[in-house]
Amino acid sequence: MKIMNCPLNGPRNISEFVWGGEVREMPDPVACSDREWAEYVFIENNKAGFVREWWCHVPTSFWFIAERNTVTEEIVRTYPAGELFSRRVEFGAKTKDEQR
Amino acid sequence: MPFGLLKYGLSAKYPARRHFPKAKELKPTYDVVIVGAGGHGLAAAYYLVKDWGITNIAVLDKSYLAGGNTARNTAIIRSNYLTPEGVGFYDESVRLYQGLSEEFDYNILYSVRGHFTLAHTDAAIRTSRWRAEVNKHMGVDSELIYPDEIRRLCPSLNLSDDVRYPILGALYHPPGAIARHDAVAWGYARYAGDHGVEIHTNTEVTGFIIENGRVKGVETNRGRIHCNKVLQAVAGSSSRVSDLAGFRLPIRTIPLQACVSVPLKPFLDQIVVSGSLHVYVSQSDRGELVMGGSTDPYGLYSTRSTLDFKEGLLGHMLELFPFLGDVKLVRQWAGMADMTPDFSPVMGKTPIENYYIDSGWGTWGFKATPVCGKRMAETVATGNPPELLQPFRLERFYEFQQVGEKGAASVGH
Amino acid sequence: MRGGINRLPAPFGRAIDRSRPIGITFEERDFDGYAGDSVASVLAADDQWILSRSFKFRRPRGVLTMAGQDANTLVQIGSEPNVLADRRLIEPALAVSAQNYDGSLEVDRGALIQLFGRFLPVGFYYKAFYKGGSWKYWERIIRNRAGLGKVDTYAHHGYFDKQYLFADVAVVGGGPAGLSAALQAAAGGGEVILIDEWPLLGGALNYARIDRDGDKAAALGDRLVDQIRATKNIGVLRDAVCTGWFSDNWLAVIQGNRFYKLRAKSVVLATGSLEQPAVFRNNDLPGVMNGTAAQRLIRLYGIRPGRKAVVAAANEDAYGVTLDLGDAGCAVQAVVDLRRSAGDGAMVRAVRGRGIPILEGHAVIEAIAATGKHGIIAASAARITSEGQTDGRAMTFECDLLCMSTGYSPAGQILHHAGTRFAYDHATNMFAPAVLPPHVFAAGSVNGTYRLEAVLAEGRRAGWAASQDAGCIGASEPQAVTGDRGGEGQTHAWPIFPHKRGSDFVDFDEDLQVKDLVNGIADGYDDIELLKRYSTVGMGPSQGRHSAVAAVRVLARETKTDLSQLSVTTQRPPYMPEKFGHLAGRVFEPERHTAMHHRHHEMGARMMLAGLWYRPAFYGKAEQRDRAIRDEALAVRNNVGLIDVSTLGGLDVRGPDAAEFLNRLYTFAYAKQPVGRSRYVLMCDQSGAIIDDGVACRFLDEHFYVTATTSGVDAVYRLMLQWNAQWRLDIDVANVTAAYAGVNIAGPRSREVLSKICHDVDLSPEAFPYMGVRMGSVAGIPTRLLRVGFVGELGYEIHAPASQGEALWDALMAAGGTAGIRPFGVEAQRVLRLEKGHIIISQDTDGLTHPHEADMAWAIAKNKPYFMGGRSIAIQMKKPLTRKLVGFTVDDHSAPVPEECHLTIRGSEITGRVTSAVRSPALGRTIGLAYVAPDQAVAGQIFDIRIEGGRMIQGRVVPIPFYDPENKRQEM
Repeated sequence: MKIMNCPLNGPRNISEFVWGGEVREMPDPVACSDREWAEYVFIENNKAGFVREWWCHVPTSFWFIAERNTVTEEIVRTYPAGELFSRRVEFGAKTKDEQR
Repeated sequence: MPFGLLKYGLSAKYPARRHFPKAKELKPTYDVVIVGAGGHGLAAAYYLVKDWGITNIAVLDKSYLAGGNTARNTAIIRSNYLTPEGVGFYDESVRLYQGLSEEFDYNILYSVRGHFTLAHTDAAIRTSRWRAEVNKHMGVDSELIYPDEIRRLCPSLNLSDDVRYPILGALYHPPGAIARHDAVAWGYARYAGDHGVEIHTNTEVTGFIIENGRVKGVETNRGRIHCNKVLQAVAGSSSRVSDLAGFRLPIRTIPLQACVSVPLKPFLDQIVVSGSLHVYVSQSDRGELVMGGSTDPYGLYSTRSTLDFKEGLLGHMLELFPFLGDVKLVRQWAGMADMTPDFSPVMGKTPIENYYIDSGWGTWGFKATPVCGKRMAETVATGNPPELLQPFRLERFYEFQQVGEKGAASVGH
Repeated sequence: MRGGINRLPAPFGRAIDRSRPIGITFEERDFDGYAGDSVASVLAADDQWILSRSFKFRRPRGVLTMAGQDANTLVQIGSEPNVLADRRLIEPALAVSAQNYDGSLEVDRGALIQLFGRFLPVGFYYKAFYKGGSWKYWERIIRNRAGLGKVDTYAHHGYFDKQYLFADVAVVGGGPAGLSAALQAAAGGGEVILIDEWPLLGGALNYARIDRDGDKAAALGDRLVDQIRATKNIGVLRDAVCTGWFSDNWLAVIQGNRFYKLRAKSVVLATGSLEQPAVFRNNDLPGVMNGTAAQRLIRLYGIRPGRKAVVAAANEDAYGVTLDLGDAGCAVQAVVDLRRSAGDGAMVRAVRGRGIPILEGHAVIEAIAATGKHGIIAASAARITSEGQTDGRAMTFECDLLCMSTGYSPAGQILHHAGTRFAYDHATNMFAPAVLPPHVFAAGSVNGTYRLEAVLAEGRRAGWAASQDAGCIGASEPQAVTGDRGGEGQTHAWPIFPHKRGSDFVDFDEDLQVKDLVNGIADGYDDIELLKRYSTVGMGPSQGRHSAVAAVRVLARETKTDLSQLSVTTQRPPYMPEKFGHLAGRVFEPERHTAMHHRHHEMGARMMLAGLWYRPAFYGKAEQRDRAIRDEALAVRNNVGLIDVSTLGGLDVRGPDAAEFLNRLYTFAYAKQPVGRSRYVLMCDQSGAIIDDGVACRFLDEHFYVTATTSGVDAVYRLMLQWNAQWRLDIDVANVTAAYAGVNIAGPRSREVLSKICHDVDLSPEAFPYMGVRMGSVAGIPTRLLRVGFVGELGYEIHAPASQGEALWDALMAAGGTAGIRPFGVEAQRVLRLEKGHIIISQDTDGLTHPHEADMAWAIAKNKPYFMGGRSIAIQMKKPLTRKLVGFTVDDHSAPVPEECHLTIRGSEITGRVTSAVRSPALGRTIGLAYVAPDQAVAGQIFDIRIEGGRMIQGRVVPIPFYDPENKRQEM
């Protein structure tokens, strides 16, 4: 049983965590092409080697980022998502729904 | 005693006949390079020879012959899928399988056992009925049956209702079979080798020569080869190889584990699958219980084993067969499954001209070996994927035309 | 003699307690032994040397290792198949039987197969049995012959449990290396756990002979074990097998009926080595055993292993065996040494001194079988002319015991699990661990170290290094291992002497002879992995422990490859077979019960599964199911009913951005949703497929209470948190599913009933209209009140703290007593919602359904810049729809109701399926939902449904809701 170091709870068995897949940037959902959007939804880098991924500690529902080697299973670093996502994300202007 | 064995007993010297030609030097040029000497790659070579008369072929593999997922799978063959596209495709595979031993002159130990997908919830009953109805529509023998009938066919199953997940019914697929997985690959390899196909093991592809969007050759750890066409058939490494060619796939590579018991006298004829309990089991001709479950909970390019896999699996096994507590597990192992979003494979053309792909085989690759080999050979030979493969094209994801097999393929393989 | 005719007096028999006699039966014959005896030793004590019949040829087999490592000793004990007789300790009245024979163990009719052995070449089953579909016939025969041990399908599920253990340093193996490692690791100050698979600590020190007089090893062992006992921070697990190493030093350990999962900061593997059998004709027969097996019999159990012996030798240990045999009263006829010279070690000199002939440069080429192959009567030896060849001039020595001491192989299974590669070393003729993974240390013969002083020193070094690695720095560094490690001269490079008449077994489990491997290689299976798969070498119960190295030697020679280029096949867990019961343990399957669970049982509910939850399907006897469902549904339509909806997910979304957050996750628009109102929520995944639904209740400007499906809520909650980890909106989400119990009181008289016990909320339709939400108390319990319309009648969902759920239920049932309130279950609710045309996610949708296909375009807000799956839906809507969900009825009243998932058919094409269908109690006709081709999705269109037995019936598309199309009743 692999041990993962949760930034909130410390080292725990990996069975306490859920894998959330690679951290990837969403293309602009309005401006991107259909093809770019389909790639975002379906296509994976699936890299053999070091990757940056979402993981969630289930008992505390805490999402964080783990840097992990997908060949050796070595977990290099884990840290709160705030390190990567520090600013509020906006989609376009105020929605028409809100202006109504 | 079959006559086929007489020659072995009656000759003074063992009548050895190499099934595969000895390794030789790579030629500078081949018509077709097949990357991956697993069941699929070898089957494609076989049908390229047999159906299309193409023999100037090199099959390359970074490891030993048929040593990837072909060597690691649990050898279940069935066609009781959910989508008409899937059912039609796997049905052709089952029919090809049935004739393979005689076609090869090599026994693949094809053993029809009957396949049960147990349903423990009313949702599972619905899915079972859906599959049964689609199967019957497509001419595939499949039926939703209820506990009395299950008891009659497979009396050792625990059908009592004082368990956590009582069995409410099952999708019963009489043609469900198992076979000797290695023998399938070896049978293909032997024929292909006899007809001039070169199989180069321990030969790793390190890159592709691509000019103007068209593949021209392959770089290997043993040097460069030129070729007109490439077929990629490297389950478990699909993304790694396609990465070398510069395109990406809708695949996550996730370990899939399995295990076997010590050999026991036969007591279980059928293949039993429970999606809810994440268990499947059959008893091999050697007497071993061959067992597996769903894929690991996270992606990894590794065939390491885990303890929690076995603990979970055997806990559920004992729900289905409570009398097995003193039976012993003797070996566990893992393969790498290329999981797609819709649990269907990816076959056909790629963004690179003359570079064809056979991938996305998740946990369902072995059963497709013959049909995939035959139809990919046709694709490579003609440059056009046949109708049967069209639904499984890579482009389907860009077109939002998935082939949804999640309910039929997730456990049970 | 007491304890068996072969029993030796003390001090032989370190492992047995002669004060505690125990009797067992084997094949219904009585045997007397002592506590501490294994099944195999107690049988050996009375000359029962045949323990089993082999897998393929049914040859008699007996003791090979006495180490619990080989399939020869597999027996059946009661309903337990495949028990290692040389490992299982005896207990009073144990009933043991042999496996895999027809007739009797002594006379097995099945052994006739040996006459046909020549017709069963390597991989014979690939080469025949398939013509004209004949495999069906042959398979049955082969299956019945294969297999070892019988499963009793009526066996009881025994008791097994599990325990977690933690250690700074775990030491696996309690031989000299492990003992000294544990002591040194403990000196570092950390917690140490020492695991040994035998009841007696000490490993080889308990049975091996390292000196002329033969008492040095045991004395050293006793001293070390005393030190271990005196060390407080060493915990000892004896008679406990470490079966596997898993990531981050997670060890599986089995002791009795308990399965330990041990997490150690660092691990020392001192698992020793396995003596390897030599290969010659009849090397598999009872009476042929490893030298260490004879020593174990003598010293552990006090059993004379034979009367007259020959020793096949290739190392100094063979001479220790020879001396031990002599001491035990077994006359050694000759030592046949593969080496040109036996040298002049102390024990060799002692053997010479006893006048025992030593044949140097000779090999045993055959064991001569006794009648029925029940044992041996002699051994033949001849002079070696070249590797694996002799001059063939056989010298024959009468004997009933032939001991093999020609070499070892590291017991490296657990190192293999940890990812260690092994490389062949020409100096020692053995494979040795190459590079060790982090936090794993090796010591002793598993690491190629054999000389006792070096073993002890290496143990100390490993123990010290492991404790340092675990952060325990209390000890000073012991001396590094210096000088000869003793690996050379232990193992012969070619202890293989093929015989032209065969029966020269490389793999006893699988009955594979040298020629099988040679022929398999000639067939082209010339990679060790291919050879394994083709010949099945190493695939039996002992997993190649005694065959893998010999197989690689044969392969190297046949393919003219240097051994250093080859490896043995990867060893996978477990090291020893694990019972399914051990792995399963007690099987904890969580169940979730709602606060009103007992009430449902009291009222005779039939329960059904909903994820981990149990919910009432209906109330009443199973055989009155349909009637009960109909009556419950009609009670709601005509009067008032009460259903437990506690399993529905509940999520509190709070904060200034709460509405914006819902806008992004759900298809609808929530910014302008008024406080005190609820609104439908529909969630799609990023590909546009519907994954969940519910309602969002706005209790405050910055507080939404969002419901989710029973099975979907955990995933929805997780998704919400993951997205907001990126979006950083000013919100907080809490999953309050388990905190709230919920009921839905529904029916025309629900307001009347509720008003009796709810006084602080104005329940009038004007003050609390349809889709309104309020906070208030019901029977004094604080609640959230939701006017929703899933079943299509006036009704209130009431969510209360789970601790008061039962009180709420009781209060409502009491208040509704005069009105005749009736509890209803999930089945009736399904009928009622279908009459209203409401979909159930995952029943009326599948993994790919997008909202337009489910006819839910109305639930998609226009003009939102983003919502999950929105772009994917837009892309899909550029293409024509391929299916659409419609309501339908069946005009032929005599036609059966279609079942869910019966197909809708047009010509030869499947257009869709029925997702829900029922005979409506309120409408008296069949209604349902089905996917049809888009051009059929128009009211009045007729389509075909294939029902049970292939019969076709016609459905007619009708608008939904089927019942109360103007929704007047729910808005009352």
